[in-house]
Amino acid sequence: MVLRSNSLHAYRTEALVLLAPAFAIYTVFAIWPMIEVVILSFQRWNGLSADRAWAGLQNYRHIFTADPVYWMAFRNTVLWTIMSVIFPPVVGLLLALGLNQKLFGRGSLRAIYYLPVIIAPIAVATMWRWMYDPFFGLFNQVLTNLGLQAWIADWLGDRSIALYSMFVAYTWQHVGFSMVLFLAGLQGVEYSLVEAARIDGANRWQVFRHVTLPALQVTITIVIVLSTISSLKAFDIIYGMTGGGPAQSTQMLALWAFTQSMQIFDFGRGSAISVTLLAITLAIVVPYLRWTQKREAASE
Amino acid sequence: MNSLAITARLQAAPVGRSDPILIALWIALVSVAVIWIAPFVFIIFTALKSNAEVMTTSAFAPPTDAALENFTGAWERGNFSTTLVNSVIITVIKVPLGLLISAMAAYALARMRLRSGKLLLLFVLFGAMIPFQVMLAPLFTLVNAFGLIDTYVGIILPYLAFGVPYQVFILHGFFRTVPKELSEAALIDGASHITVFSRIFLPMSLPVLAALLILDFVATWNEFAMALVLLQDRHMWTLPLGLMSFQGQFSNDYGQLNAAIVMTVLPAVLVYLIFQRYFVSGLMSGAVKG
Repeated sequence: MVLRSNSLHAYRTEALVLLAPAFAIYTVFAIWPMIEVVILSFQRWNGLSADRAWAGLQNYRHIFTADPVYWMAFRNTVLWTIMSVIFPPVVGLLLALGLNQKLFGRGSLRAIYYLPVIIAPIAVATMWRWMYDPFFGLFNQVLTNLGLQAWIADWLGDRSIALYSMFVAYTWQHVGFSMVLFLAGLQGVEYSLVEAARIDGANRWQVFRHVTLPALQVTITIVIVLSTISSLKAFDIIYGMTGGGPAQSTQMLALWAFTQSMQIFDFGRGSAISVTLLAITLAIVVPYLRWTQKREAASE
Repeated sequence: MNSLAITARLQAAPVGRSDPILIALWIALVSVAVIWIAPFVFIIFTALKSNAEVMTTSAFAPPTDAALENFTGAWERGNFSTTLVNSVIITVIKVPLGLLISAMAAYALARMRLRSGKLLLLFVLFGAMIPFQVMLAPLFTLVNAFGLIDTYVGIILPYLAFGVPYQVFILHGFFRTVPKELSEAALIDGASHITVFSRIFLPMSLPVLAALLILDFVATWNEFAMALVLLQDRHMWTLPLGLMSFQGQFSNDYGQLNAAIVMTVLPAVLVYLIFQRYFVSGLMSGAVKG
């Protein structure tokens, strides 16, 4: 086929027409704010005035050395991420292994476990706040009925347990997501391999350990990366359940950045906090993207 | 071992129904499912109880007579007529529009030979991984600079921007698997790429589009953080913002609060229950095959 110059021109125009809307909006409203947050982190600004002065590393110096909440938020974010990478995926894997068997009503069971995933996180926060209500909430009522009054607690008001109470709600919401990914991954486990291992006399645990688990390796990596990313994003559920309290004991980086910028109107410090969170995210995302690229190149 | 022997062994292997381990497993899964669904039961029961009943009856006691006035009360005080309309307008415009522009871009990246195609794809993919929660402040600054705070356009544009990466990623993967022969004949006959896209690829990808449509509907319907920053005027609030404010103001009115939760959550739950199978297939095509 001979391409004349005007048809080449038409080709380019077409590509432009197809690509432009998505790329223009994406660049302006997703990429530019990310660049802007880095610029802002080196400035002093209240968000409204015309005066945006350069501040060098002052904002970073402040958050690292003079802001006690920052390190609390940092610690909580790390702890939250570690818990999110362990608990929801492990429970999700167990459920997926169970629901991968031919069981009565497994379709409905899957639907029940997945249901919380589609609920607005802010509604989950409101629901669980009510369930944690110290007087009429579900938990303390059930404990009273079971005669376990000693276990009754102010689940969200006690700073030593508030973060974990919140994490239980988060787990309830996110298990279904890991479960669905693992169920999809299990479709890729060759049934004939499982059968062969069974015939060779392997017991259930051995089949799981030596056949299923290795076959799930790619899925496990994906679940871990996605769980990490979504845990770093945790915002709605904290905002709705505790707002970072009591006494900042459940504060996290995303919410603390928001508080600094949008409530205290210190855009410089808020952005500096955002940049540290962005750096953590990139440290996880970039190796992951390179890994997927390699995997794709290998499969081609 | 010959195939006959294998068949014989397979037949001797325990059959699902009588296997005690499978029965134990089933009981465990059902028990956990009961715990999983208990919060919903508790919320619905509370939504149907008067305040006095909430304080005197136990958590899982069914409401004696359905206090439907909780719903009408919460509807009025929670400003649901406004927030519901706003949520519907934003979702109905954003979701189809976002899918269209993502599909266009995904087609060009997957089926047209572009010199920088790979780079552009990586550029878009990158966005799928970056939490927008880090950039709430600069987003506010940007939308404010355009004078679009408290407008539908001002919230829809950022929603579109953060929806593009994931959708382009999925659709690109799908378009690439379409056999060449399908589009080449049309192209040689002189059809433009835009025609091939709209006449061949778009109709063919309806199942994938349906899955993405539902996933995106739920994501848009539930979005809170960006709306919190970009919609300050209560007349522009969406359902999640309305619920949050309701919780702040009337948290001691248990019946109405739970009625508000039910009304906020119900549309997404209904969509999920009706289109369940698309959800799972959509997620699967997304995360694992990609």
